[in-house]
Amino acid sequence: MKKALFAVFLGGLILLGLGCSKSSSKVSDTPLRLVLKAEPSNLNSILHTDVPSAEVIGLISNGLFRLNSNLELEPDLLESYTVSDDGKTFVFHLKKNAKWSDGHPITAEDVVFTFDTLMSPKTNTVRRGLFVIEGKPVKFKALDTYTVQATLPEPFAPFLTNMSMGLIPKHILQNTDINTATFNQKPISTGPFNLVVWKPSQYILLERNDLYFGSRAKVKKIIMKIIPDSNTQLMAYQKDEVDELQISPKDVDAVKKLPNRVLYRYEDLQYTYLGFNLKKPWFSNFLVRQAIAYAINKPALVQTVLKGYGKPADTPCAPVSWAYPSADQLVKYDYDPKKSEALLVQAGFKRNPKTQWFEKDGKVFEFTLITNKGNPEREKTAEILQQALKQVGIKMNIQVMEWSSFVKMITGPKDPKPFDAVMLGWALGTDPDSYLTWHSSQYPAGFNFVGYKNAKVDSLLVQGRREMDQKKRKAIYQEMHKLIASDLPYIFLYYPEVVISIHKRVQGLSKPGPAGLMNRIEEVHLIE
Amino acid sequence: MVLKRLLGAIPLLVGITFLSFLIMRLAPGDYTSMMMDPRMTQADMAALRENLGLNQPIWMQYIKWLKAVLQGNLGYSYVTGKPVLGLILERLGPTLLMSVVSLVLILVITFPLGLLTGAKRYSAFDGWVTVLSFIGQSLPTFWLGMILILAFSVKLDWFPTSGYLDPMAEVMGGFASIKNIALHMVLPMLTIVIGSIAGFTRYFRFGIIRILNEDYIKSAKARGLSDKRILFKHAFKNAALPIVTLLGLELPGLISGSFVIEYIFAWPGMGQLGIQSAFSRDYPVLMGLLLMTSVLILAGNLLADLGYRWIDPRIKHS
Repeated sequence: MKKALFAVFLGGLILLGLGCSKSSSKVSDTPLRLVLKAEPSNLNSILHTDVPSAEVIGLISNGLFRLNSNLELEPDLLESYTVSDDGKTFVFHLKKNAKWSDGHPITAEDVVFTFDTLMSPKTNTVRRGLFVIEGKPVKFKALDTYTVQATLPEPFAPFLTNMSMGLIPKHILQNTDINTATFNQKPISTGPFNLVVWKPSQYILLERNDLYFGSRAKVKKIIMKIIPDSNTQLMAYQKDEVDELQISPKDVDAVKKLPNRVLYRYEDLQYTYLGFNLKKPWFSNFLVRQAIAYAINKPALVQTVLKGYGKPADTPCAPVSWAYPSADQLVKYDYDPKKSEALLVQAGFKRNPKTQWFEKDGKVFEFTLITNKGNPEREKTAEILQQALKQVGIKMNIQVMEWSSFVKMITGPKDPKPFDAVMLGWALGTDPDSYLTWHSSQYPAGFNFVGYKNAKVDSLLVQGRREMDQKKRKAIYQEMHKLIASDLPYIFLYYPEVVISIHKRVQGLSKPGPAGLMNRIEEVHLIE
Repeated sequence: MVLKRLLGAIPLLVGITFLSFLIMRLAPGDYTSMMMDPRMTQADMAALRENLGLNQPIWMQYIKWLKAVLQGNLGYSYVTGKPVLGLILERLGPTLLMSVVSLVLILVITFPLGLLTGAKRYSAFDGWVTVLSFIGQSLPTFWLGMILILAFSVKLDWFPTSGYLDPMAEVMGGFASIKNIALHMVLPMLTIVIGSIAGFTRYFRFGIIRILNEDYIKSAKARGLSDKRILFKHAFKNAALPIVTLLGLELPGLISGSFVIEYIFAWPGMGQLGIQSAFSRDYPVLMGLLLMTSVLILAGNLLADLGYRWIDPRIKHS
């Protein structure tokens, strides 16, 4: 999954859960046993790039804000804040009782240090861009021990969401090389748990942080076992060596047979798509893209590939997001192979009665779909698409590529790019800002690798970033998602669901949703 | 002779590492391909490449690497920021443990098997051993590993599914820890041993067949010595000789670990490190592993040669 989706970590993952039963349960000595599907890279909240690291960091680190299970921002290390009328100056007042796990108070100095370090060009981070607006950095200044001022060059709506990035301690990290600091493997904590030990490729052991400013966790220890192979994960779960496992749809039946387990499923902030290289003559033709869209039976795809654990997709925004347009606003391309063929004829193609392929100017309509290796669901989807397109007379070849070669091919600076069509998935943040994937300035270098250009979408993307009023933003993004859905730069294939099985002894879970079942980890407890 | 060999190894190592550096860089993409993250701007990507020195010409990157190595510094992993030497050392123990114990076990099983099948060539016993060991060899490792976990761990509950040492057993320390590691080791070791029996047995079988055709064996037979005495007194010692060569050749294999085994059984060894580093284009770690493996190959060959000269006087004289 790490390589298959571009994960956007949702900030400090400690949320107000539902039905918190504070009184009944006692603190359990039995550890909570979780799985990490790969070795984390490092436990520094400004440096890490992978999902396993984010999972650990979510338990030991806090930002100024956090996301609750309704995907709303709420204060975390923050007491209160004010914003100026022009939306450019924020003053943050920190909680005064918050401490690092070594006893040092968490102060404005730590906030300024975190963002100064992030801004330094020497820091190997992927997050700097979150705090650079129109080419200029956000400036942080400590007004007193517990007050920080942030000055933005321009109003920037996703700013507060980005402030959920975890802080790093100045008193430990000043005068060290942040990229190689031992802190990255042995961090101190601001969260409900402390790191006790990280045994590389074995496990991470966490212990309750008694200095945590929030409510005390109900489990004393968490063991996160690093098990890379998905079959071994499943067998470890069957044997009750771990308490919880996120599973792929194909394993649902095996897990359902196990006693004392509960299966959860919820929509996630991600989608899988087929993207066209819009600079190729065939795909620059809207009729052709429509023809391909009508040839694909998305509900059948969801049934076959995801075993029903997902939904057909129609726009680059997940239905759980507030920026998702109402269904009647969206142009839908429902499966209709006849219409597909008619559109191809309209686009000037003729079906060769001998070969059954559509042709134009003596050339067969043939293209190659590339996708990355290591994602069986995606490979299966590609094969189904190949069959579906064959039905309507389009010849699609499949090339499954090793990740690095694949990325080089689609994001390389060449124009036009050396691919026809690509299948991939995007993981979305909670903020709908998708400037880097859809704005025309992000081509050829950047993530708009399909070369999409729509002046209206460009301007909505800029407006959406500047507008601070949530209602107006909603209208902007709904409009934008509507436009992209009808333009078909991608064919949006499906929204996969998350399927998690958890042992019944684990109680105090949050509401199922993209923010996770254990978002309020303090409330999680084990019953015998 | 030893000094000459050691001196000769230096240009060889430089050559090996330089070529590997080039070949490694021929693979498309670099570490920044892993960072295909919708948050990351092109400016940050460029800054990252500059920090890691990836924007410099390849030969310059190699010279920088070589210079640092000569000063005893293998560099830092791009992915974790940890020193490469530390990364390697923390995984060396589990890998060595697994490979040394399995190798000993393999030798203990296959040497007598090879001897007996060789001595009783084309007998029913020879036939059965050959068939069974080849079945063992042709089972795909990942499949065999899964089946063993399913049978002996999930169903019978004799062993843990995967891992190295449980945190709780580690706290207890001492014998409890050793026992815990041993329990974790059984299934992956079994997978390795089953896969290796055929190759080693055939090797020793061939060795003994060759020896039994030697003149001195024929003369022993002519002198009327019993088959048993010939086999154990005369052939046995000489058949043990190839083990020395084998051990020399196996030395690099002992530390490189098996990726498939380590991946399936979540064993924290060198195989996992190597593959992870290759996929994430973590050049400093890859080069560190390569350097170490090259040194061991050269050392293994040298040791095997020396061992042979020590054991087999014919080589010294020739």
